[in-house]
Amino acid sequence: MAKKRLTVLKRLLEFSGMNPRRLRMKWVSSAEAVEFVHEISDFAEEIKQLGPNPLRVKEAA
Amino acid sequence: MGHKIKEQVQKLLEEKRIKGFLGLRELEGHILPHLFCNPQELESLSLGDWKKAGDARYPLNQILIQLATKYPQETFAVLVRGCDERGLRELFKWNQLAEEKVVPIGVGCPDELAKACECEKPFPDCLIDGLKGEGARSQRVHRVDGMDLDARLDFWLGEFKRCIKCFGCRNVCPMCFCNECSLEEELLVGKGEIPPDNPTFHLVRAMHMVGRCIDCGLCEEACPADIPLRTLYKKIAEIVNEEFGYKTGYNVGEKSPFNVIEVK
Repeated sequence: MAKKRLTVLKRLLEFSGMNPRRLRMKWVSSAEAVEFVHEISDFAEEIKQLGPNPLRVKEAA
Repeated sequence: MGHKIKEQVQKLLEEKRIKGFLGLRELEGHILPHLFCNPQELESLSLGDWKKAGDARYPLNQILIQLATKYPQETFAVLVRGCDERGLRELFKWNQLAEEKVVPIGVGCPDELAKACECEKPFPDCLIDGLKGEGARSQRVHRVDGMDLDARLDFWLGEFKRCIKCFGCRNVCPMCFCNECSLEEELLVGKGEIPPDNPTFHLVRAMHMVGRCIDCGLCEEACPADIPLRTLYKKIAEIVNEEFGYKTGYNVGEKSPFNVIEVK
C-alpha cells in the first residue's frame, strides 16, 4: 500500500514542481544495518548534488 | 427539459418504490436541494441551471448520505449527472451508501458544461433525460505538463498563496466523508496560518483525492480564491490510471487499488 501511495506521491511532487529524485523509498529491515547506512549515504550524496530545495529557497526569498 | 425525469419520479413516488426524490428545485429565483416526497412538488424541479448550464449544482450524494443515515430503511431516488453516478459507484464500494436503497435518476450534461468541465464522460449510464454528450480532453493538465520543473513550482506556489483555508473544497466535495480530516491535523498542516502550509495543504488534499475524486468540479467552483484545484486532481486521476489502470467511478465491482490491501 505504501508503495502504491509513494508511486503516486512522487509523480504528484513532480507535477507540482519538485524534483522526484528528492523522494526515495526503500524497504530495510532492522537486521540490515549495513544496507541502511549505505542507502542513506547514497541518498544524502544525491541530495547534496541536487542542491538546496527550491521550495526552501523561494520561501526564504 | 426535465419532463422525462418528472415522469419517472412521479411513477416511482406513486408506486411507492421510493420515499422521496433528492433533486433540486427553484424557489424565489434560487436553486436549492429538495427532497420531493409527492408528485405535485415536481413542478418546481430544476436540474441545476441558473444563469449558465450547471452553475447551480450541489453535492447531492453528500446530502443523500445524511438522509440514508437518518432513514436507513428507506429507499431514495437521487438526481445524478455523469460525475454523480461515478460518485455513487465509489460510495457503494466504500460502504457509505447501500446500493439497494438508492435509485439514480440520470441526466446528461449539455456540451457547454461538458467542455467547461473538460469532462471525459458527461452523462451517466442510467441516463433518463438530457444529452449523451461527447467527452472532452483536458487542456489544464496539459498546460502544466508543458512547463519545466521550476516554472511549475512558481506556478503552484503562486496559486496556493491565495488560499484562505476556508475548507470550501473539502466541505463541498461529495466524496469527502472522513470523520477526522487530515487537513485538520496539526502535525500535517500547521494551525493559524494563512495561507496554510504552502504547498503541503493542497498536496495532502490531492493525495486524498487518489481513487476518490470523481471530477465533478464543485471544489473549484466553491473556491473563493480561484485556485485551479481540478488541474491537480485531474492529474491525480491520470497518474492513477497510468500506474494502476484504475478510473474512479467507472467500474461497478472493482475497488480502488487504495481501498484494497493485498496479502501475499
